[in-house]
Amino acid sequence: MTKPPAADLSDLLARVAARDREAFTAVYKATSAKLWGIVVRILPRRAMAEDVLQDVYVRIWERAATFDPAKASPITWMATIARNRAIDEVRRRTPVSIEDAPEALEVAEEGLSPADRAEVSQDLRRLQECLQGLDPERREIVLLAYYNGLSRDELAKRFAHPVATIKTWLHRSLAQLRKCLGS
Amino acid sequence: MTNGEDIDLIAAEYVLGTLPAGERAAVTLRAYSEPRLAEAIEAWGRRLGPLVEAIPPREAPATVWPEIKARIDALEEVLLTPKQLTAQIVGIKRRLGRWRAAAVTATALAASLLLFVGYREIVHPPERTLVAVLQKDAQSPAFLVSVDLDRRLLTIRAVAAEPQRGKSYELWLVNDELKTPRSLGIVGDKPFTVVGPQLAGYSPKVIEDATLAVSLEPEGGSPTGQPTGPVLFAGKLLQATK
Repeated sequence: MTKPPAADLSDLLARVAARDREAFTAVYKATSAKLWGIVVRILPRRAMAEDVLQDVYVRIWERAATFDPAKASPITWMATIARNRAIDEVRRRTPVSIEDAPEALEVAEEGLSPADRAEVSQDLRRLQECLQGLDPERREIVLLAYYNGLSRDELAKRFAHPVATIKTWLHRSLAQLRKCLGS
Repeated sequence: MTNGEDIDLIAAEYVLGTLPAGERAAVTLRAYSEPRLAEAIEAWGRRLGPLVEAIPPREAPATVWPEIKARIDALEEVLLTPKQLTAQIVGIKRRLGRWRAAAVTATALAASLLLFVGYREIVHPPERTLVAVLQKDAQSPAFLVSVDLDRRLLTIRAVAAEPQRGKSYELWLVNDELKTPRSLGIVGDKPFTVVGPQLAGYSPKVIEDATLAVSLEPEGGSPTGQPTGPVLFAGKLLQATK
């Protein structure tokens, strides 16, 4: 997939806000693979993931007027809508079997492989450095939650720790990340 | 929920996705009326957001796009355009003259909409009326609500909420005191819905400080008693009378 420049996507979203169907088609073409990648990781059941992807684009259509390029890049804004919708869905379902969750670390490390390195944004590089500062197990817990939508209960089962421990670890890891990222 | 909670950690877990369903729904609703929480969520979105870069794109199933197009067609048929909505409001304003405009503390748009929802009660304006505009953003009011505190009567009018096939809109009362969102029933299947008995159990204080939110649920309402679908519209109740 060739990456559409952010400025182009911002312009397209502005046109979507004005109910421009052609612009919306272009937005879908440029971003659906990325958003599908996000959604299927969290919802491995395909039918559910397809419904969610539909919802995500209906929301993008409805909310395009609220997109603010000063606050986020267009793809970040859309990815947030996709992740939120997918997490809402997975959180209210009884958990799918744990084997459905692929290894999150592989994904996370992909962004750091030398070939990609030039492509990786400074923000991601900085976040990865901070993640490296976490104990490996705790890092994996954060990444499995973020990428695969695992709940505290699912993480507790997978790592054979009480849920309360997982919660404490999550809080500590997040506090450590915040500190490391310096804001 | 207010005592000793760490807003920032709640926001962090919200963004990470690890909050249990009930807490997650409550945070979604609270963020509409608590700027600090909304800002904390945004900040965490910026901190963790770069992670999505590393997710490889995958071609979406070909069946999805035609479905999206069909849903947007259906949406466009029922939604009032902002222009149509403004025209309606201007018409009503003209009829109502300057009724209570001065007493209204909300934004100009909300103020005009208050007149819109309030006109049924214009003959005998009740002593204590609260109003809310439930919207997904400043430009898109979807439901208008008025609450007669003394009679514990809530009137909700669908303005631009699109009826959705096989789904119901459910109205929720949200207040930190209540811990979890409380259902006020299904709304929006007809232009006006009057909610009576469901409000009787709440004190005026709880109602006055509440946020109202509408979520999209399976037909007939949430199966769990808590919001399960996306929260589409929300708004804070405001005093309409002095």
